[in-house]
Amino acid sequence: MFFGILTLFSYYVPHKMSVDYIETMNKWEQIVAAFAFLLGLLSLFLSHYHKITRKVDGWGYSIFVFIGFLAMIVPAFYSQGKQTTELGLTALGWSYRHIYTALAGTMFAVLAFYIVSTAYRSFRIKSTQAFVLFVAAFILILGKVPLGQIIWDSVLGWTGATVSEVIEWIMSVPAVAGKRGIMIGISIGAIVTSLKIIFGIEKQYLGKD
Amino acid sequence: MLKEKLQSFFKIDRRWIFLVLAVVLFVPIMKPIGLPNKTISPTTQRVFEFIEKQPPGAFILFSLDYDPSTRPELHPMATALVKHAFKKNLRVGVVTYIAGSTGLIEEIFEKVPKEFNKTDGVDYVIFPYMPNILAAMTQMASDIYGIYTKDRNNKEIQSMPVMDGIRNYKNMSGVVCITGTAILDYWVAYVGDKYTVPVAGGVTAISQPGYGPYLQTGQLKGLIGGMKGAAEYESLIKQPGKGTSGIDALNLGHLLVLLLILTSNIILLIIKYL
Repeated sequence: MFFGILTLFSYYVPHKMSVDYIETMNKWEQIVAAFAFLLGLLSLFLSHYHKITRKVDGWGYSIFVFIGFLAMIVPAFYSQGKQTTELGLTALGWSYRHIYTALAGTMFAVLAFYIVSTAYRSFRIKSTQAFVLFVAAFILILGKVPLGQIIWDSVLGWTGATVSEVIEWIMSVPAVAGKRGIMIGISIGAIVTSLKIIFGIEKQYLGKD
Repeated sequence: MLKEKLQSFFKIDRRWIFLVLAVVLFVPIMKPIGLPNKTISPTTQRVFEFIEKQPPGAFILFSLDYDPSTRPELHPMATALVKHAFKKNLRVGVVTYIAGSTGLIEEIFEKVPKEFNKTDGVDYVIFPYMPNILAAMTQMASDIYGIYTKDRNNKEIQSMPVMDGIRNYKNMSGVVCITGTAILDYWVAYVGDKYTVPVAGGVTAISQPGYGPYLQTGQLKGLIGGMKGAAEYESLIKQPGKGTSGIDALNLGHLLVLLLILTSNIILLIIKYL
């Protein structure tokens, strides 16, 4: 509670003592973060190690956790953490560019296929709300690409409003109103939860009820 | 009979849809259509003007926080922004709080500085990855050397010409954050608002609508959104790149989504009234 209140007040007090205190806390946070990272890594390894030894469903995928880890960590040690030198790509740089980038890109790209398939199968305009959602999405999707702008101008050009103007209105009036409401709600919730943690009312994060 | 035939459209093997999408994306990448990008979003224009008005030698801090998953949208805008900063002879500092972005930053600075004859340590500096974003942000408000002592190649940064006169946010002209995460929110809340540092950003198209409140209040000086935003910025600096060429694939991809939604709903309506 003491450190919680002190850190909270330090945010509002621009005094040297408060700045020094924040700097010390920052250094401690970095140290704790390093240990937390190590703990997370150990926990991940143990979890997948047990899956392999107990041969649970899908245990084969767990092997790839270790393969992926080794494919990045071994070159990282070998290259001393550097990705490029005057001579070009190091082993780490090669692993990053040709293994990590390719895998991460593929994982995300696959989503596009599922989104398009789901749009066809599941986007049903069955109510007024769904219709409003569809109209807004339709205009935004259309206006986000030059071809859509050309189509809008040739089909709806007679309205006198360009698709960019309509998008600008949607983004700055209804979208902002909704987002602002959500942000205020989340912020109030975060403040209340933080105060409960600082004053020891909320203890669930420590594993206590 | 017709009803059953129409209903069979919903039972179509989804791999056919995957194939159509693959063709729609692949063809324009191989053979670009080259449709002109007719409009520039006001928010992209504001980012351009923010960089444009900086005097030569001003220090801009780039926070490049994206990994390969959002690379197609964010990498072209980061590249265009760095090019613009170098064109204006600004000093560039790069930080990152996403471990996966270090290689993408290397990619940018492998090529772009050579185009503008810029030197590492003199015109730009790349700080190493830091895991604790809030600690780094608050520390940089008082003394950047309290958290960053060396660059990503283990060279002392305090003695570098690029860091001349730079100790904290007061000595910087602004922060530009390119991210597919909520890190831009952190820059606005913990740096922009508290230390009155101008903050501009670049985000994925899907997260762009969420930044409307910050743009209206001026907490964000400008915002580049998605691949279209990247293409717009490339046209503003008159250096077409991956954003401009990628927009063709996006053109047809977006239209396919609209076409599929419309088709399925029209079929549904017909079935309903048959």
